[in-house]
Amino acid sequence: MLGVHEFSIAEALAAQVQRHAPATGRVREVEITVGALRGLEPDSLRMCWEAVTHGTPIAGSVLRVDLRPWSITCSTCGRTWSSPVPFVACTCGDLAPVPTAGDELDLVSLTIDEEDS
Amino acid sequence: MPEGQRTTRVPLVERVLEANDEVAAGVRVELERRGIFSVDLIGAPGSGKTALLEATLRALRGRRHPAVLVGDLATRRDGDRLARWCDKVVQISTGQGCHLEANQVRDALAEIELDTVDLLFIENVGNLICPVGFDLGQASKVGLFSLTEGDDKAAKHPYLVEAADLVLLNKIDLLPYLSFDRRTFEADVHLLNPRVPILDVSATTGEGLDAWIAWLER
Repeated sequence: MLGVHEFSIAEALAAQVQRHAPATGRVREVEITVGALRGLEPDSLRMCWEAVTHGTPIAGSVLRVDLRPWSITCSTCGRTWSSPVPFVACTCGDLAPVPTAGDELDLVSLTIDEEDS
Repeated sequence: MPEGQRTTRVPLVERVLEANDEVAAGVRVELERRGIFSVDLIGAPGSGKTALLEATLRALRGRRHPAVLVGDLATRRDGDRLARWCDKVVQISTGQGCHLEANQVRDALAEIELDTVDLLFIENVGNLICPVGFDLGQASKVGLFSLTEGDDKAAKHPYLVEAADLVLLNKIDLLPYLSFDRRTFEADVHLLNPRVPILDVSATTGEGLDAWIAWLER
């Protein structure tokens, strides 16, 4: 199923990539970074990407999603680690370590194939 | 790689929703210039967004000059309900859109005579996820949760909790009848956003509305 949440993000991204795409050459790969707070599923984003780019000049480009995970800090033992989910217990027994994450959603690079002239 | 072809990586650092954010910044400047305090009200379908605004508009009648923008995928029913209590209501039909975007807010504001307005409510489309990431130019984001959704709703929607300037817990009159653990809800909210105030309200009985209105007018 296409997540409707990811769909609108993929649409905005496709418009943005098309603005940057060169007149000659083909966009091979699009790289984005996503903070865990955004709650975006990389698989769903990639499916939406295929759907929204279908029939456009950037069709066939690969969306690479660098998902930045949650950072969990335990206020009891001071340990800090990364986690894909925010609510996790610490190995020291603390049931409520503090979760923090970013909400970045950035287009980081385009990889473009060009014919040598 | 085929001969005669080269591959270049072009680094960019650009926000994906930059176009939306630019429109939102313009809306924010305009609202601030006019001294209009604005709230983006975000909550699940059925959490009581419209009911809360009906009760709020009723309480503010004669005291303030509010305007309301209300987003829905379909129908004008919410707009019609709110128009009984406020003469400046614009219904935004989003079609397939699961959230409001800044250009819809900008265009809806153009339909209102803003000179007399001092308070703007934006009722977002019922959804706890998508609306959070789209800046509308509002002064404050308010996350509306309700008891019937369960006490784990905040924990499952961290982005809204983290982004909210205020959390409202609606349908508080139902507390005796549900297995909602108020302490769990509060602990989850404050783990994600330690300083956000939580106000218990009931749009139906009016409980807690005074505190919500005091927050609006603080």
